[in-house]
Parts: sequence; structure tokens; C-alpha cells
Amino acid sequence: MSATAFGRPLDVDSALHRRDPAVKLALVLVISAVVTGVFDPWTPTILYLLAVPAVVLAGRIPLGTMARAHLPFALFGLSLFTVNALTRPGPVVWVLGPLDVSVPGLEIGISLAVRTLLIGTLSLGFVLTTDGARLMTSLHQHVRLSGAFAYAVLAGYRLLEQLPQQWQTIRQAQAMRRPRSSGGGSPRHRSRRVRPRRTERPMPLPRSPRALARASFTLLVTTLRRGERMSIALETRGLGAGRRTIHDPARLTPGDAVLSAVALATVTAVLLATWRCGLLAGWGALGVFG
Amino acid sequence: MSARTDGPRRDSPSPDHPSQDTPRPDPEPAAPRRTPITLHDLVLLAALAVVFGFLYWALVQLWGWLQVAMGPFGDLAQNALAGGWMVVAPLAVYIVRKPGVGIVVEIIAAIVEVVFLASPVGPMLLLVGLIQGAGAELPFALTRYRRYGWGVFLASGISAALFNLVLGMVRFGWAGQDFFALRVGLQFASGILLCGLLAKLIGDALLRTGVLDNYAIGRAQRIAARAAG
Repeated sequence: MSATAFGRPLDVDSALHRRDPAVKLALVLVISAVVTGVFDPWTPTILYLLAVPAVVLAGRIPLGTMARAHLPFALFGLSLFTVNALTRPGPVVWVLGPLDVSVPGLEIGISLAVRTLLIGTLSLGFVLTTDGARLMTSLHQHVRLSGAFAYAVLAGYRLLEQLPQQWQTIRQAQAMRRPRSSGGGSPRHRSRRVRPRRTERPMPLPRSPRALARASFTLLVTTLRRGERMSIALETRGLGAGRRTIHDPARLTPGDAVLSAVALATVTAVLLATWRCGLLAGWGALGVFG
Repeated sequence: MSARTDGPRRDSPSPDHPSQDTPRPDPEPAAPRRTPITLHDLVLLAALAVVFGFLYWALVQLWGWLQVAMGPFGDLAQNALAGGWMVVAPLAVYIVRKPGVGIVVEIIAAIVEVVFLASPVGPMLLLVGLIQGAGAELPFALTRYRRYGWGVFLASGISAALFNLVLGMVRFGWAGQDFFALRVGLQFASGILLCGLLAKLIGDALLRTGVLDNYAIGRAQRIAARAAG
């Protein structure tokens, strides 16, 4: 995801794009909360296999985008799978040095990994079809979120959009001021000395933990300053002073009801099906709480 | 704009007195009254949440690969970093000094991560933020938001780690795993160092830059300086 795409939906129109942002967020939250109580490998897998085509088709999300966005979820899921497969007691299927792979470990590991993919897919379906500003309007209207809170989040969003650029500027400025002996100094002088033919190439930025910590602190200070300027600007326009009317209100439509009904009915049906087949397992599978 | 000046510009429409046109006889009362969190505070919380969310997000980009490379210990090592994710809560309480601030800042951070940065954890992060924020804020609430010594920050780190540990036991079933004791140890060490104590260090460093002069922490410092001489 490129830095400029923070909080912007895909530039197409789709059934998911037209749904109310607060309804979509609520659905993702409810389904995520429900599957958090499930620890068998089957239920999340079935839900995941249903969710991917549903999100891709209803949100008109290109398959390439979907696949690329899966990478962080996949890494997170893989890590969850490894730790559970190797560190849970139970019948051992495979010994690996001091660690052993157990049957319950494998099952819980797969369950948690697929759960990550499922929640990740739902989040992607939400993020890629939702405009951040519309979400705050919708939450303000339908969840009675305070206007000051909504505007603060939007101000934060505006700050966030500028952060990658700020981060780059701060690091370049700090690299510029480093003494020549430690690899800093003017990029033109430095590159002439080290690589005579690449005068236009940007110099490498310092990557030591100390340099990154210094840049992080500077980023924090400058962002707090800009944030305070923003809040003064908001206050002088009377924000946070009382009740407000809403520009371009977000309206709930029958489509939102249909989406909610379909999504919740699917989850319920899958849970019932796996329960009837004796596959569904909850926290009891962990062997600690029950 | 210089935030370092003690000018009357920000002191008259102060968050302590949202009624902006009533002149105040004493611009900085010794015992500030409990007021709801104002827009001015909220934007600061959003800015804090955004910066920490962004830095955390940048860290996770690198971290994902390392975590897989470390195999089963990758997930354990995450506990060693968990404190850093919660540090924004005690820091926010330190600066704004109002009830609920730690929870609000964690929730804004979670909204930013989920809605704008598409975190792999998904919207569950809102619940995680709520619980971690509550954990970090609890010790400050017990002092009625009046004491900000190292001991309270230490307690805040321990409490945040404890809340996070219980949450992990429910979400990922940590208690049934072999290295549970190691996980607990890492979690508490991380909570104390990266959440509790680091929050005070960052807060004090920020205070020295003057950027917090118009918030409760800056006012408290001026009152203390006035009392000292």
C-alpha cells in the first residue's frame, strides 16, 4: 500500500463501496469477535473460503491487490502456526530437536493462522471499500460518537497522511548535519568523494538505532506542534463548542440490512454446520479453561 | 508559532475552562477541576496515536519477516515488544491528566491502525486497545490522576502487561503452551521498561521541548516552578 493511499478506498464503485461504513465496521467486529472463540481448524477455514470470493466479487477488488495485501496476514498467521504447532502438549507426531509437534498444537495452530487470514480478508474488504472521512461521519451519526472525537480522529488522519514525507525530510536533514567522518555531510560532496559518477543519487540515510530513535523523537515533536496548530484552527471555527449539524449525512439503506443479514446468516450457518458435525471447538480445546 | 512562550493566547481558552469568553481571575489554579476531555486534548491524543501507530507500523513491516525466521520464538519475542505498543497510554495520561485518556488514545491508535493502515490484527485491535489502555491507566486512576512519580509508571507498566497477558490467554490460548513462564517474564519486563518507564522518559523529554506547555503537564510544571521560587 502506497503512502498516499492511507484511508482511501479503491477507485471503483461496487456493492460494498455503497454500504454504510459504520455497518461494515460493525459486521467485521462482530464476526471477528465470534471467530475469536473458535479453536478448531474447520470453522475458520470454511468461513475463509466463503469470505475471499465474497469480498473480491462484492468489493470489485483486483485479485493481485488481494494477493499482495495478504502477505502481512500470511506472515503473522505463519508465525502463530509455528509457535502453536511446536509448543503445545499432546500426542506427538514429529520430534524436532528439543521441540515436538503435537496433534492439538497443529489443530490450534491451523485454526489461529486461518483465523488471521479470515479477519485480514474481512478487514481488507472494509478498508479497500471505505473512505475514512465517511466512516467518521457515519459513526458520528449512527453510534453517537462525539463530534470532537470524530474531528480529532480526522485531524489525526490528516497528520498521518503527511507522516511518511515528514519522516523522510527529518532523516535527510539529520543525515545532512552529521559530521563528514561518520558518513554524513553534503550529499554532493559525499557522492563526489565516494561514487564520482552518481552525483544525482540520494545518499543512504543513517539506519543505526540511535539515528532512528532521534528521528522518531523529532517526528513526535513536530507532529505534536502541527497537531496543536490544527486544534487551534478547529477551535477558532467553533468546533467542540456544542451541537452541530451534519454536512452530507450518511443514510442507512435497505442494502445495509441485506448485507448484515447475509453476513450474519452465513456465519451462523457455518457455526451450526460444524457444530452438528462435531467439528466445532471452543476454548475447551486449549485444555486450560475447562 | 512558538509553543514555548507562556503567552495569554492559549491560557485564556484553556481546556480547564471551555467557556472561552469568561475571564479567569487565576489563570492556573492549584488544583485543576475535573473537566471532560476537550477538543484540544483530543487532537493531541490523535497526534500521539498517529505517530506511535505509524512507527509501530513501520516496525511491523520489518518485524514480520524476522518473526517467521525466528520460528516458534518469533511469536514469543513479540511479547518482548508488546510494551512498546502500549507506551502511548501512560504517556497520554502523563500529559493530559484526565480520566479515560489512556483508553481513548489506545482506541484512536487502534482506529488509525485498522481503518487507515489495514493492520493484520483487524478490528479486534479496538478491543485490544481498550483493554491495554485500561490496564495502563488503572494505576494513575488509583492515585486519582495526581501522582506522576517513577513508581506509578512502574505500576502502570506492570498493570498493562498483566491485562495484555490475560487478553492473550483468551485470544491465543497462551496458557496451554510450553514456554508460558518465559512469555510471562518477557511480557512483564517489556511492560515495565518499554511501557511504564519509557513513557515517563518520553514525556519528560517532550516537556523540555516546550511542545506540551498548553497541556496539563506543562501547567503543572509551571505551578511547581512558581511554588519553588
